[in-house]
Amino acid sequence: MLAYRQGDAGAFETLYNRHKGPLYRFVLRSIRERGLAEELYQEIWMRVIEARGRYSVQAKFTTWLYTIAHNRLTDHWRRRGLQLVELADHDPPAPAAYEPARRAEARESLARLALALAALPEAQREAFLLHEEAGMSVAEIAAATGAGEEAAKSRLRYALAKLREALADG
Amino acid sequence: MADADRDARVSERYRALGREEPPRALDEAILAAARRRRARWAVPVSIAAVVVLAVGVTLRVQLEQPQEAEKVALAPKVMEAPASAPPTAALESRAPAAPAPPTVARKREAPAEAAADRAEPAGRASASVAVGKISSAPQTPEQWLERIARLRDAGKAREADESFAEFRKRYPDYRIPEAMRARVAPR
Repeated sequence: MLAYRQGDAGAFETLYNRHKGPLYRFVLRSIRERGLAEELYQEIWMRVIEARGRYSVQAKFTTWLYTIAHNRLTDHWRRRGLQLVELADHDPPAPAAYEPARRAEARESLARLALALAALPEAQREAFLLHEEAGMSVAEIAAATGAGEEAAKSRLRYALAKLREALADG
Repeated sequence: MADADRDARVSERYRALGREEPPRALDEAILAAARRRRARWAVPVSIAAVVVLAVGVTLRVQLEQPQEAEKVALAPKVMEAPASAPPTAALESRAPAAPAPPTVARKREAPAEAAADRAEPAGRASASVAVGKISSAPQTPEQWLERIARLRDAGKAREADESFAEFRKRYPDYRIPEAMRARVAPR
């Protein structure tokens, strides 16, 4: 990242290739709407490019990248939250987990896992995805999400417990 | 089954969900944006680098010159007869036929010119060392002109004008080099 900051465009490509898959899946599994996820994914990288001057050696690039991603997703949820309040008079859309077709798929353990992941509270899902995709420790998850280590630890623990449960159901 | 094992199974099943990658078009859009940003920054950054370098070199030159001036100014005194040498060396320096002294004289003048603002004391010191015993009044036309130029640089226009008039009276036939004329002539 420092090399890119100093004008090495090849350095960005190296970084991008290293992180694109995990970040893409992190966003995709958080948002679940592919079009929207791709839009957010691109916005996150644009922020990285814009903010590269503020990147400091002290921060591990992965933590920095996912801090930006976390902030962007938080904006997204906040906006969506506001939207839901505005649309409170209308029927809320049925959560994916309860759609009949999805129910049928859920007989498969993988599908159950996907559903359980989708059904997790955002913070828990985020902790799990940071752990799985970005390979982050509890401390790093705490740093990237601006949470205390205890909170990050319990989010990850809850997430894993629910996912284990979903797999055991089969 | 221990939690750790079951977590490993969660992890393994999670990975089996798929390892999606961003579409190629998205990759290209982002990489192109990164290159564009770099291009936009590259020019100002390189200009800034050149400016920093130039300032650095200038400062270094100015800092080093007073010492250089002293060294060079002392040189003729050591090598030649102390009483007559400095004025002679300076006068000879005007004659293109004498190859060695011009170098000495040029070196002696250049630092004094360049360092006039910052290194006034050093400049004066080197001048007086070169002049030898008679240090209060300028002894060669060059040194006199240099003093006038320094007066001008220091914003002492009246003194410079007076001194220049005095100089003209004393050396009516002296041809002032163009570069020096620009520095000393009344404005």
